[in-house]
Amino acid sequence: MRILIVIPAYNEQENIERVVDDLIQNYPQYDYLVVNDGSKDRTAAICREKGYHFLDLPVNLGLAGAFQAGLRYADRMDYDMAIQFDGDGQHNPQYIEAMAAKMEEESLDVVIGSRFWEKKKPFSLRMLGSRMIQLAIKITTGVTIKDPTSGMRLFNRSMIHEFAHNLNYGPEPDTIAYLLRGGARVQEVQVEMNERIAGESYLNLKRSIEYMTRMCMSIVLIQWFRKRRA
Amino acid sequence: MSVMLRTALIVISVLTLWYTARKIRKSQLQIEDSIFWMAFPAALVLLSVFPGIAAWAAKILGVQSPVNFIFLAVIFILIVKVFSLSLRLSQLDAKIRTLTQEIAIRENLAQKQEKTKESE
Repeated sequence: MRILIVIPAYNEQENIERVVDDLIQNYPQYDYLVVNDGSKDRTAAICREKGYHFLDLPVNLGLAGAFQAGLRYADRMDYDMAIQFDGDGQHNPQYIEAMAAKMEEESLDVVIGSRFWEKKKPFSLRMLGSRMIQLAIKITTGVTIKDPTSGMRLFNRSMIHEFAHNLNYGPEPDTIAYLLRGGARVQEVQVEMNERIAGESYLNLKRSIEYMTRMCMSIVLIQWFRKRRA
Repeated sequence: MSVMLRTALIVISVLTLWYTARKIRKSQLQIEDSIFWMAFPAALVLLSVFPGIAAWAAKILGVQSPVNFIFLAVIFILIVKVFSLSLRLSQLDAKIRTLTQEIAIRENLAQKQEKTKESE
C-alpha cells in the first residue's frame, strides 16, 4: 500500500520544516510531497536546502491548483492513496493509519479526518458555517458529513485519477457533495487537530463568510448541472 | 432615427473599424478575435445607412422606437460576447493551471533522474 501525503504550501517558511521533519523522522512508511504554490517567502529555498521532495510551481495557483498538482504527481507515480495535508501543522499524521485502514476495509473512495465524528460540534460562530455546509450536503445528497470543512481528506486510486485530470475538482466540500451525488463512498474517521503554531491563518471573518456562501451556493445551486465523467 | 444619431453611429463605427485594423497591422490582435470587431461596427453602419431595417424590426418586436431596438440589439450582442469571453477565460485558466503543474512535475522528475545518475 503506497500512500502519498500531499502538502500544499503557500508562504509556510515558519511551519514547513517542523511538519516535514516530523513526517520524515516518525512516519517513514509514507511518502510525502510538498507543493510549493509560488510562495513569496523562503518556502522553496528551505525545501531545496533540506532536500525535501517537492514540486515548485512557478506561479501561484491557489489551494485547488496546488493540491491538484500533487494528485497529478500521485497519479503519474501510481500511488494507491493520497492524503490532503496542511502545511501549517494542523493535521496529525498519526491518524493516517486509521484512515487508510478504514478505506481499505470498507473499500471507500474518500475518508475524511473528522473532528466531529464521535465528538460533538461546538456551538460557535466558527462552526456555524460548518453546520450550514453540513445541512446543504444533507439536503442535496441525503448523506450526513459531520466535518465537511476538514482539510484532511484521503483519496483512493480512482479518486486520485479523477481529481488529477478534471476541472472543478477543488479539495472542498462542494466537490465532496458532487462526488456523493455521483455515488462515491465517503466516510469519516475521528481525528484531533492542532491550532496553527506560526504564521497567519488564511481564514478571517470576512473570508470565512465568503467561503461559506460560495460553498453553500455551489452545493445547493450549481452542482446539479454537472455531469460526471470519471 | 434622427440624422444626427445615424451620423454618430457611422462615425463611431468607422473609427472602431480603423482602430481594429490598426491592431491587426501591429500584430496585437489575432484574426479570430478581430472578426467580431469588424462585423459589429459593420452591422451598425448597415443599420444607420438603412434605417428601415431597425424600424421594421422594432415594429415586429413591439419595441416603441427604432432606436430602442438598436440599443436592445447592441446590449444583447455584448452580453453574448462577454459570456464567450468568460468561457474563454475559464479555459485559459485551466490551461495555465495544467501547464504550471506539468512544469513543476517534470522539473521534479528530471532532478530525480539526475540524482540517480550521480549515485550510480
